[in-house]
Amino acid sequence: MMQPSANKAYVFNEHVNVQYLNNLYSGDYEMIEETFSDVLAEFPSLLENIDAAALTRDLPGLKQAIHKIKPLFGFTGLTAIQTECQDFENACVSHPSFDSILPIFSILNKSIVRAQAIIAEEKARLAIFNSR
Amino acid sequence: MSLCCIIVEDLQVAANYLIKCCEKSNLVEVKGHFTNVPDALSFVNENTVDLIFLDVEMPGPSGFELLDQMAFLPKIILTTSKKEYAYDAFEYKVTDFLKKPFSYERFLESLQKVQASPDIPATGAIASDHIYIKSEGKLIRLANESILYIESMGDYVKFVTADKKYITHNTIKNLEDKVDKASFLKVHRSYIINLHKIDDMRENHLFIQGVEIPVSKAFKSLVISRLNIL
Repeated sequence: MMQPSANKAYVFNEHVNVQYLNNLYSGDYEMIEETFSDVLAEFPSLLENIDAAALTRDLPGLKQAIHKIKPLFGFTGLTAIQTECQDFENACVSHPSFDSILPIFSILNKSIVRAQAIIAEEKARLAIFNSR
Repeated sequence: MSLCCIIVEDLQVAANYLIKCCEKSNLVEVKGHFTNVPDALSFVNENTVDLIFLDVEMPGPSGFELLDQMAFLPKIILTTSKKEYAYDAFEYKVTDFLKKPFSYERFLESLQKVQASPDIPATGAIASDHIYIKSEGKLIRLANESILYIESMGDYVKFVTADKKYITHNTIKNLEDKVDKASFLKVHRSYIINLHKIDDMRENHLFIQGVEIPVSKAFKSLVISRLNIL
């Protein structure tokens, strides 16, 4: 795995919490790229679980699906979305009906879809960066 | 010090991250990765590990249910994204609690805690006058001298004492390496007996408090060599 290099400087997307990522990976860009790749590979199945739970209006299932996808945003430094997921999990406790949680879920769902695009874009840029 | 571990984690990203941390540290060898409790349980019943990185919420039984079903506990590091499990972690006396995602430095801190723990399970036999087994939802202390024999029941074993029988999830093969070899001996693929409890032996059977226990041809000479024959 690559160690931090003083000669290399990678500029992350503005939504990525760089300080958090540096703390997590100690500037090991190859490890970051590998993890982003792992995240992208796992993302679709976790997204499917969310869609399935939403479609069947299964609130406990939806809470569980959001809980499961949440760490992916931590691993990719998207800490704001990670917090949104946690807030949603907390809201599920105080909003026991699916209808009452729907507006919060709609916002979160958009964030999740946007996050997937950001991670894919970062993964592609990191691959170029690491190959230099 | 090199530890051998398994990872029980259904999130592939988290498992891969842990594997990378283990490789980077050169302190831990990953013997396997399991995405559910039954598969992990099968492995630990057949193999000895020093450490388990254990997620809590997985499809099927939870990580805590794995701990409930294990007869012998290695060091446990819980890896979860819910800090609400901290109390349970404390109750189960796990060595450390890593909230996902965690940094490599935090991972190393956990390993230091494991290394600093005084009772790393030995990979061979544990010389002790007692064992603990998980049965009936609790840890039960059994003095070696109270155990008459241990009998296989498929994926379970039965510890037989003079006044009670305890059934726990384990195998004779796994226990063979873990019981005190001064007191216990495997005499058949389905039996480990307490040498001090044999009443008599006839041909290919021995008797303990009226119970007839088969002795395999392969183990017979070993059994006889361990008896104090005048």
